[in-house]
Amino acid sequence: MTSYFPWLTIIVVLPIFAASSIFFLPHKGNKVFRWYTCCICLMELLLTTYVFCYHFQLDDQLIQLEEDFKCINIFDFHWRLGIDGLSIGPILLTGFITTLATLAAWPVTRNSRLFYLLMLVMYSGQIGLFSSRDLLLFFIMWELELIPVYLLLSMWGGKKRLYSATKFILYTAGGSVFLLIGVLGMGLYGSNEPTLDFERLANQSYPVALEIIFYFGFLIAYAVKSPIIPLHTWLPDTHGEAHYSTCMLLAGILLKMGAYGLIRINMELLPHAHSLFSPWLVIVGTIQIIYAASTSFGQRNLKKRIACSSVSHMGFIIIGIGSITDTGLNGAILQILSHGFIGAALFFLSGTSCDRIRFVYLDEMGGISLPMPKIFTMFSSFSMASLALPGMSGFVAELVVFLGIITSPKYLLMPKILITFVMAIGMILTPIYLLSMSRQMFYGYKLFNVPNSLFVDSGPRELFVSICIFLPVIGIGIYPDCVFSLSVDKIEGILSNYFHR
Amino acid sequence: MEHTYQYAYIILFLPLPVTMSIGFGLLFVPTATKNIRRMWAFVSVLLLSMVMGFSVNLAIQQINGSFIYQYLCSWTINNDFSLEFGYLIDPLTSIMSLLISTVGIMVLMYSDNYMSHDQGYLRFFAYMSFFNTSMLGLVTSSNLIQIHIFWELVGMCSYLLIGFWFTRPIAASACQKAFVINRVGDFGLLLGILGFYWITGSLEFRDLFEIVNNLIHNNGVNLKFAILCACLLFLGAVAKSAQFPLHVWLPDAMEGPTPISALIHAATMVAAGIFLVARLRPLFIVIPYIMNLISLIGIITLLLGATLALAQGDIKRSLAYSTVSQLGYIMLAPGIGSYRAALFHLITHAYSKALLFLGSGSIIHSMEPVVGYSPDKSQNMVLMGGLKKYVPVTRITFLLGTLSLCGIPPLACFWSKDEILTDSWLYSPIFAIIAYFTAGLTAFYMFRVYLLTFDGCLRVHFQNYSSTKRSLFCSMSVSVWGREPLKIDNENLPFLILKRNINNKVFFFSFFSKGTYKNKIYNNVINRMQYFRTYFQNKYTYMYPHESENTVLFPLLVLVLFTLVVGLIGIPFDQGVIYFDILSKWLTTLTNPFQKNSVDWYEFLTNAIFSVSVSLFGLFIASIFYGSVYSSFQNLNLINFFVKRRPRRILLDQIKNVIYNWSYNRGYIDIFYTKGLTMSIRRLSKLIQFFDRYIIDGITNGIGVASFFLGEGIRYIGGGRISSYLFLYLSYVSIFFIFYQYFYF
Repeated sequence: MTSYFPWLTIIVVLPIFAASSIFFLPHKGNKVFRWYTCCICLMELLLTTYVFCYHFQLDDQLIQLEEDFKCINIFDFHWRLGIDGLSIGPILLTGFITTLATLAAWPVTRNSRLFYLLMLVMYSGQIGLFSSRDLLLFFIMWELELIPVYLLLSMWGGKKRLYSATKFILYTAGGSVFLLIGVLGMGLYGSNEPTLDFERLANQSYPVALEIIFYFGFLIAYAVKSPIIPLHTWLPDTHGEAHYSTCMLLAGILLKMGAYGLIRINMELLPHAHSLFSPWLVIVGTIQIIYAASTSFGQRNLKKRIACSSVSHMGFIIIGIGSITDTGLNGAILQILSHGFIGAALFFLSGTSCDRIRFVYLDEMGGISLPMPKIFTMFSSFSMASLALPGMSGFVAELVVFLGIITSPKYLLMPKILITFVMAIGMILTPIYLLSMSRQMFYGYKLFNVPNSLFVDSGPRELFVSICIFLPVIGIGIYPDCVFSLSVDKIEGILSNYFHR
Repeated sequence: MEHTYQYAYIILFLPLPVTMSIGFGLLFVPTATKNIRRMWAFVSVLLLSMVMGFSVNLAIQQINGSFIYQYLCSWTINNDFSLEFGYLIDPLTSIMSLLISTVGIMVLMYSDNYMSHDQGYLRFFAYMSFFNTSMLGLVTSSNLIQIHIFWELVGMCSYLLIGFWFTRPIAASACQKAFVINRVGDFGLLLGILGFYWITGSLEFRDLFEIVNNLIHNNGVNLKFAILCACLLFLGAVAKSAQFPLHVWLPDAMEGPTPISALIHAATMVAAGIFLVARLRPLFIVIPYIMNLISLIGIITLLLGATLALAQGDIKRSLAYSTVSQLGYIMLAPGIGSYRAALFHLITHAYSKALLFLGSGSIIHSMEPVVGYSPDKSQNMVLMGGLKKYVPVTRITFLLGTLSLCGIPPLACFWSKDEILTDSWLYSPIFAIIAYFTAGLTAFYMFRVYLLTFDGCLRVHFQNYSSTKRSLFCSMSVSVWGREPLKIDNENLPFLILKRNINNKVFFFSFFSKGTYKNKIYNNVINRMQYFRTYFQNKYTYMYPHESENTVLFPLLVLVLFTLVVGLIGIPFDQGVIYFDILSKWLTTLTNPFQKNSVDWYEFLTNAIFSVSVSLFGLFIASIFYGSVYSSFQNLNLINFFVKRRPRRILLDQIKNVIYNWSYNRGYIDIFYTKGLTMSIRRLSKLIQFFDRYIIDGITNGIGVASFFLGEGIRYIGGGRISSYLFLYLSYVSIFFIFYQYFYF
């Protein structure tokens, strides 16, 4: 059944190849680039779906569609790709969100060729990251991601875009240093020739101190990306300034890379250190939920407020990862996907409405529900989804994380009660800031001095984008098994490591 | 017979298509959807009546041979946990679904007319159908997670419907308040569910009860933890049923349209908390102290609600406080061990209160053309009075509802309330005294509402209720309170405060003028308002309220029928030797331990006479205070009455003032919440924001700035000027030579 056709390589390389050929397109206005990028993204998404449907077995927890080309002899660097139940979800999410983000980016007219080029490069980098099976390749893809984001931030965005772009690149590059140290340390440890293969590394064991050092190095890199407090301050700035389609990519996919890496490398390769660190992860995650939620009240800027809310939601992922149970980890993966959809949609909607009313501060807004009922409807639906209303994906994810931490055998009674209690307080805080945001934006009545022509409701394109994101949110909420079935076997495999030792 | 049970899940999904199709229609084909707007109302009423058919069928089967049917299917299967969905048909479910569908049909029919001029007609029906779905889902759910899911969904529907007129800032903050407070309850509910899941490993009701029972008998569980979890579960019920510490959302929820207040905030959703308590009764019984807590909360709430209802000026708010108080009765009943009475009162109160709310909606509609469309005016009882001439049918229905709620014998609430009062004697005399006292208070405030609304003569025209005529108003008020130097104490006079809310009115007018809001600038609206006002003063002064249309009156009459009849289900009949009582037969699984097999008619009669005399006393006091026909103008509300007689009866006045202030300030609880909680959360968030901005981010920025200065310094040193390089070089060389010479020579 194994097909030798290099499907994954094609999937990874196609966007970047298409991106480089964007320069050969005739320069006839933005329309050409738009359609070209959209078609490429859609093609890629369809290709991915096709490959996953026909060449991937869900019940197999091993790596599938594996490819291995030797690139650099001297360093044992392989072009090694492969996917399993853990990475299939983020890859599909990437395809979905990127396609919709290119669709959302239609109003970008300034230098649109470069914009779309960068988006496609990002697409490649993300898929490459989620499907790489080699530590160094993982690192390279991680770095490949940064440059397009930096450019996207610094060229298309708000007034303080250079500040935030610099902040972003410094933070993430600073994190990457630790990642590189970890990668090289793990690769060069032990044997004479470097090993960078995930499978061989997973069976390797280290002295405890060294493992903790590695773990910590990786953790810092992911903590910047995820973000985990106190390394989160780049996020509100970046999201506040970026264009909304960049925000969609940032919130939808980029933040998930940290969580994915935490599961993929820290949990799989360094299980011993993870079981030592997991109580701290849970504590940090709990604090993060409350902390970010309370920071969010104080933000005047609409996008920054949503950014803080996404920091708060990341706390659930960290808790799920830290709980070291089947249930909790499943919940974390579900939360990765669910927040990918919801965060992207919230940024999209807030961006479009901000563009229309020309305000970004919440206290200047008000009463835009009458001219824009559709945006109002979609925004309320997504804020409901974000505050974990049952029937939508956020609720299932949070509930499963709750059940995970409750059933976790690792923790004692009192800590469990405390953690659950504090997490649940986050459940009260979330509606306060989300609903007051939507109240300040939409409720009430106000007359604007903006010409009427700008005050149009969302057109078919924007409606399409938001409904496209809304459907999976509802779908996962009603039938979460469709996501669980992807990852459940793999997670069992990962966790079996912990009970052997 | 089995078939009905097998297909009973349909009742959950029946009202859903309306919501979905209206939603999609409004998003994709708005004009076509709006053109057939009446059709949607018809469809939703039709679907809901099918639900009613089902529930009647189920109820009959439950009465005849009561057995419990449960169907489960898996929702998520995982290795460690599996969540199941299903439905459970038992007597409680059948009662609740019957209640929801009957009240729901009446309210839908009513709101077809009530909302017909509103822009959001379709939205309203979509929300209503969704509410019906989720409420039916709540009562048919078979495990705790399912209850939690629908619990939050009804909360969301309530949020959407309270904020239905979203252009009004008051409604916007009211809906947020309701959602957040309900979320506090959800927080408790979720934690309680998780706690019991942890204790027992099950979420299914029957397994849960059995396991907890065994564990408690075998001392297999930490009792304190179990009590904590039960308290948390009860917190959910407290928030949803508007019990004492968390009741503040219910009066504010009256910002929503009146049919909503009837359906959600009086009859069905607020009963969800009692439903939960009734559903979890086997759990609560085995865990100690929790029943005492329930009865304590119930008694506090019923007294508090009644005292707060005493002097409200807004008709819907006073009804809301009355709902709070009655919910306190219903919560007291399971606490003192009489579930049957709780459910009985739940049913009778739902019909009576729905009737009252729908009646008040009819009054509001008839007042609106006269006083204007702001709820501050059209719901203000100060401006009403003497409506019995103009709205006779509404008046009769309202009177019957009032009397029922007061507990006057042939009507529904009498039977149930009397049962609760009787049972409370058996539980504790103190509770019984409070409950009886509150029954008197209930009669007082309900009759006060009735008298202020319908008795006397119409006060709108006396008031000259117009903000431009402030001086005139003041001169009039001098003539009213002329004995003393004029002290207009704004805090105590609701109708003066209302004037400040002129902005509100602006929102209102612009909201109701369809489609014109876009190009109206503020001044235009003001101009239009002034035009309207002059129009109002010239012509409408002679306009009087009109009776509502038949589609409004029909549901009222049907509900009157229910109010008259529904008491019968709990009245014990003597059929030869067999003791017969429909409700008890219905609730064979839930009958209370106090229930005697034969009814002692003598005891019943004495209790009834006592409670009725208490109620009649309340009625009498109310009619003394408010019923004076000749001088209704002087008795606008309590405060005027006090101000007038201040010199004579100072002590009594002070007491009354205290009561009035207590009621007007809503028992100072809202103020406490605003000052205490909201402000502290804001302060905390400011602090954390400061910390985040200046310390965590400050470190980052500081590192950036420091590296900048470092770089600048290095740049300055390595500036690229040959001369400075030469200078440095030479100076170091010279220093070296100096040292060299110093050491060696």
